[in-house]
Amino acid sequence: MSSFRVPGRGRIDHQSPVEFSFDGKKITGVKGDTIASALLANGIHLMGRSFKYHRPRGPVSAGSEEPNALMGTRRGPGRFEPNTRATVQEIWHGLEATSQNRYPSLEFDIGAVNDRAYMLFSAGFYYKTFMWPKSFWDKVYEPFIRAAAGLGVSPTETDPDHYASRYLHTDVLVIGAGPAGLASALASARAGLRVTLVDENTEAGGTLLSEPQAVIDGSQAWDWVEKAVAELKSLGARVMTRTTAIGYYHQNMVALCEKLTDHLPAPAANMPRERMWRVRAGQVILAQGALEKPLVFDGNDRPGVMLAGSAQTYLNRYGVRVGNSAVIVTSHDSAWYAAFDLADAGTKIQAIVDTRANPDSTLLEGAKSRSIRVLAGYTATRTEGRLRVKSVRVNPVSNGKVGAPETLTCDCLLMSGGWTPSLHLFSHTKGSLAWDDEKQTFLPDRKTEDCEIAGAGRGLWGIGAAINDGAEMGALVARHLGRDAVAATYDVASDRPGTGISHKELPTDLNPGKARAFVDYQNDVTAKDLRLAVREGMHSIEHVKRYTTNGMATDQGKMSNINGLNIAADALGKPQPKVGLTTFRPPYTPTTFGAFVGYHKGDHFDVTRKTPIDSWAEENGAVFEPVSMWRRAWYFPKDGEDMDAAVSRECRATRASLGMFDASTLGKIEVVGPDAVEFMNRMYTNPWTKLAPGRTRYGLLLGDDGFIRDDGVIGRLSDDRFHVTTTTGGAARVLNMMEDYLQTEWPDLDVWLTSTTEQWATIALNGPNARKLLEPLVEGLDISADAFPHMSIAECKVAGLPARLFRVSFTGELGFEVNVPAAHGRELWEILWEAGQQYDICPYGTETMHVLRAEKGYIIVGQDTDGTVTPYDAGISWAIGKSKPDFVGKRGLERPDLVAKGRKQLVGLLSRDGKTKLEEGAQIVLDPNQPIPMKMVGHVTSSYHSDAAGRPIAFGLVEGGHDKMGDTIYIPMPEGVIEAEVTGTVFYDPEGARLKL
Amino acid sequence: MLLIRCPYCQQTLPELEFTYAGQAHVARPDAANKQISDEEWRDFLFIRTNVKGPHYERWRHAHGCGRFFNAVRDTVSDRFLITYKVEDPRPELSDLLEKSE
Amino acid sequence: MTVLTHAFTPGPLVSGGAVSVNLMAPIGRFSVRVRESGRDALGAAIGLELPTRIGARTKNGNREVICLGPDEWLLQTGAGETADITAACAAIYAATPHSLTDISAREITAKIEGPAAIDLLTIGCPRDIDQIAVGDGCRTVIDGISVILWRDGEASFRVDVWRSFAPHLLGLLQTGSAELSA
Repeated sequence: MSSFRVPGRGRIDHQSPVEFSFDGKKITGVKGDTIASALLANGIHLMGRSFKYHRPRGPVSAGSEEPNALMGTRRGPGRFEPNTRATVQEIWHGLEATSQNRYPSLEFDIGAVNDRAYMLFSAGFYYKTFMWPKSFWDKVYEPFIRAAAGLGVSPTETDPDHYASRYLHTDVLVIGAGPAGLASALASARAGLRVTLVDENTEAGGTLLSEPQAVIDGSQAWDWVEKAVAELKSLGARVMTRTTAIGYYHQNMVALCEKLTDHLPAPAANMPRERMWRVRAGQVILAQGALEKPLVFDGNDRPGVMLAGSAQTYLNRYGVRVGNSAVIVTSHDSAWYAAFDLADAGTKIQAIVDTRANPDSTLLEGAKSRSIRVLAGYTATRTEGRLRVKSVRVNPVSNGKVGAPETLTCDCLLMSGGWTPSLHLFSHTKGSLAWDDEKQTFLPDRKTEDCEIAGAGRGLWGIGAAINDGAEMGALVARHLGRDAVAATYDVASDRPGTGISHKELPTDLNPGKARAFVDYQNDVTAKDLRLAVREGMHSIEHVKRYTTNGMATDQGKMSNINGLNIAADALGKPQPKVGLTTFRPPYTPTTFGAFVGYHKGDHFDVTRKTPIDSWAEENGAVFEPVSMWRRAWYFPKDGEDMDAAVSRECRATRASLGMFDASTLGKIEVVGPDAVEFMNRMYTNPWTKLAPGRTRYGLLLGDDGFIRDDGVIGRLSDDRFHVTTTTGGAARVLNMMEDYLQTEWPDLDVWLTSTTEQWATIALNGPNARKLLEPLVEGLDISADAFPHMSIAECKVAGLPARLFRVSFTGELGFEVNVPAAHGRELWEILWEAGQQYDICPYGTETMHVLRAEKGYIIVGQDTDGTVTPYDAGISWAIGKSKPDFVGKRGLERPDLVAKGRKQLVGLLSRDGKTKLEEGAQIVLDPNQPIPMKMVGHVTSSYHSDAAGRPIAFGLVEGGHDKMGDTIYIPMPEGVIEAEVTGTVFYDPEGARLKL
Repeated sequence: MLLIRCPYCQQTLPELEFTYAGQAHVARPDAANKQISDEEWRDFLFIRTNVKGPHYERWRHAHGCGRFFNAVRDTVSDRFLITYKVEDPRPELSDLLEKSE
Repeated sequence: MTVLTHAFTPGPLVSGGAVSVNLMAPIGRFSVRVRESGRDALGAAIGLELPTRIGARTKNGNREVICLGPDEWLLQTGAGETADITAACAAIYAATPHSLTDISAREITAKIEGPAAIDLLTIGCPRDIDQIAVGDGCRTVIDGISVILWRDGEASFRVDVWRSFAPHLLGLLQTGSAELSA
């Protein structure tokens, strides 16, 4: 065990050694250590290099605000994470940690040359340096910036972990399980409310874990925490540790990220790594405490320079003395107690350097009793030491004048510039902050959500103040929620409340232009950079932030914001509240993409809807394509066929004999009621009154703007019942639109709409042998050509199954669509498949369906139309019931632009050479020799090789296309210009003879 | 994610059950019985208030009771001042603002 | 434990102490729509009262109905009773216009039971499940998919989901169940 571990001290298990590696070296810590505490116990402060200057850095904190000690961690194959904060990552046997931003090694790093050239890298240097010449951008500047940029190394392997998410509803959500949070949660839970208490640390207790000397109602602090947590659990409260509240959204929705496995050597296989909680709380209590501020002076970033409160945490929670010989530099009382605790644990305190001239007398007595030298009214002006601080230069200050320096040797320097309430989450709510002159910080002011702030978060220092405030707030929110609740009062002994003052940079006798006095450690922003930004005209704090990148690192300005503000305000000659803070944004701490993704990866990436026949298609080698949320069989390749070959064969087989197609994805809506026909008349362009039961009609749906929205074949089953079909992608949209008109425009109509898309499996049979296959299977219906003509519908039985049978065709061949209850879809498909063998029945997919319909000139809404196409443009104005008084889109069709000349109209396109297949989406021009940019007059909407036509065919939307029949238009492509003739859209059986078989 | 009170279900429920449906109280002109000018029809189709502040708008409880309903929501704060049934009269903004104080 | 088949074969999908998920056998299902004036007559034809509070249920023998909207109910019956119901409703249609649409095959039902049943639902359902009374139900959403959630007991639920969404939803429930037992 190293000499820095204090036997018996802390909340770690001294008896359980844990081995891990750091940059390949084996390090031994103990159970309960973080990477940082274990390294510090081994005397290692140097843990990383800074981002811009590659300066050696060690941990400055002991928590999630850590800007310096960022590492790559590997938890096994594929499990690499950059920028893990060593101060929060728990160690376990076998963990591999590596330092970042260094080459070839942490101790000797070539990039550190940047540090010598720091004068070149001042604020805004990217903007200034890479201005010209323009030609340097691609070849010189960008590669340089890309090589230099980035924090750590991105993982390259697919993340093998899985992630989870949950919704949670709670009456009271308490964020932060320190004294204020625990007392709040207790008060609310005792009032009988559903309470959730979360904390980002491994255990509840917060600052109480670092202050074991405190005594609460007669119990030692840690004992009190244990009792409080036990009571909360017994009251049914949910206590969640390793859980960070990352964002606070509208109406008390708080996102929590719970880390479940990063601390475990061998997590269970089904255990998610992280779980995102979306919490809806009746009331929120923010009890996040305060973060300690560094002091800003030359060399305040050397390894060994650390926040005093963090040193206290390392000692009291982890049993680690951060050095043998410490100098304390502070402007706040709290650092004195860190000094006392360390002195009592055996660290030599060289001096307490306080910037205040007259520290509190009890503090002076505490120092005196421990024989600690006190330098009051002093400043720190420089540190020395390459990979670890070895001395600090301090000077007396009197009447604003910096006196003669003295150098104090040390191996660690513990600083405190006071404390900043942690109000990030409060800021997410757009709650306003007010500057408190006495405390020299921002405190919460006007709230926008049902929340309260308790304890140090609203500027109350000391355990007694925080815990009693927490109890008050817990009772208050319980009363807000209608419960009788009275706050308990807590008696706290051995408390250490304190006061302090706030600084800009510490005064110095050295050239401030050469000082490396850091404000934002992670982004290497110095006090000088901030002043330069103001000098160069950045007068808004938002501009200063962006010009210097102060507060823009992954720690989101947790340490740097107030120091940055103090310096910027001083440079601007304005008081702090006039300068203001930049906005804190979620997430509170860096959060993995996995946590946001949750279950939505792999098989769960997105909803994939599958038809009842999907499994047959899969078993029979179908290639699938996504169509809206469905996956549909695209084509069924045989014997190594490519798509073109398979589609040609499927087309040929269907036209020659018989094809079968799974059309189950078609949207279906049952329209029922005495006013069903009136409703249909108003929704669709077509006239429905005279459509007899048993007959069907092609229905066209417009928006009130006159543009085509959807289409489908619609059957009338009885006077009061229609079976409406929609496009696959339009099903939900069309029903929504129908409901909208019905509920809000025509609530008087007695008609109701029910989605039956999934009630029915739909199998389309097409080809000259379709009837021959079907006839023997149909009961209760004569399907001969005369008895059941094209565009008929009937209820009957097919293969013993209740069915709705359509005679309809989307291919131009004799066609039927058999609808049976979806549970029997695959059964019927297999029956038809077996029975169809005598006709060489061919299952075909969506691509063949597209080709066959295009050969017949049938449009596909959404492919041949794009939301700006009218029935006239599409050449289907015959579907409009012109004599109807109104329908959706009727008035819209008369709009001036819709009746104007020169609209894009749907036409057929045939390449002049008879061989070239046009590319869907390709632009069309009238003169290929015009200068670029050419005037584009349309585009290709559909294009296929047609087996029936023996050549490629296409549709396009072309300006004035209907008047251009026979004209040549041009499609410029990278390989050359394609000439095509404008034609009609029907390429096969224009008389429709095959439909009538 | 907002919480929305459905005036038909009489419950305050998560936004994920709802879909937004545009500005409220845009009546469809009666083109069947009256001559509607191009300008009137344009206004019906396209012209919207796009207010910064309290906005009369429609929602549908799509994954719930299926009803369209009306709401007044402040587009700055995302707060609902009220939700009400389609058949209910348009509430006066001044009354709503008074009540929300 | 069975693998989910394309036929949605009834039986256990997840078995465990914390939570079980069972696919239920096919039943008869109808979407029932009627105006207030016809509600009592239609209820009488079906053989139970159509409740008026959204989320409320009534039951008579095999037949159970839940109110989903101001004029909308979902009726579940024994698989063999659909013809009787269709006939009974058709008989009153002229006097009491309504819509009765057979959706027996549209959706399937999974039963979710066990101490972790609520936890399992919360992986995708944003509703506060505690607010759904035992004996009530609602249409809501799970992972973006519309479902009807029936609360039959403190820790006993049924979920009706459209057939094509079922593989996604049931897969998610299986993943979630494994996680809850980890």
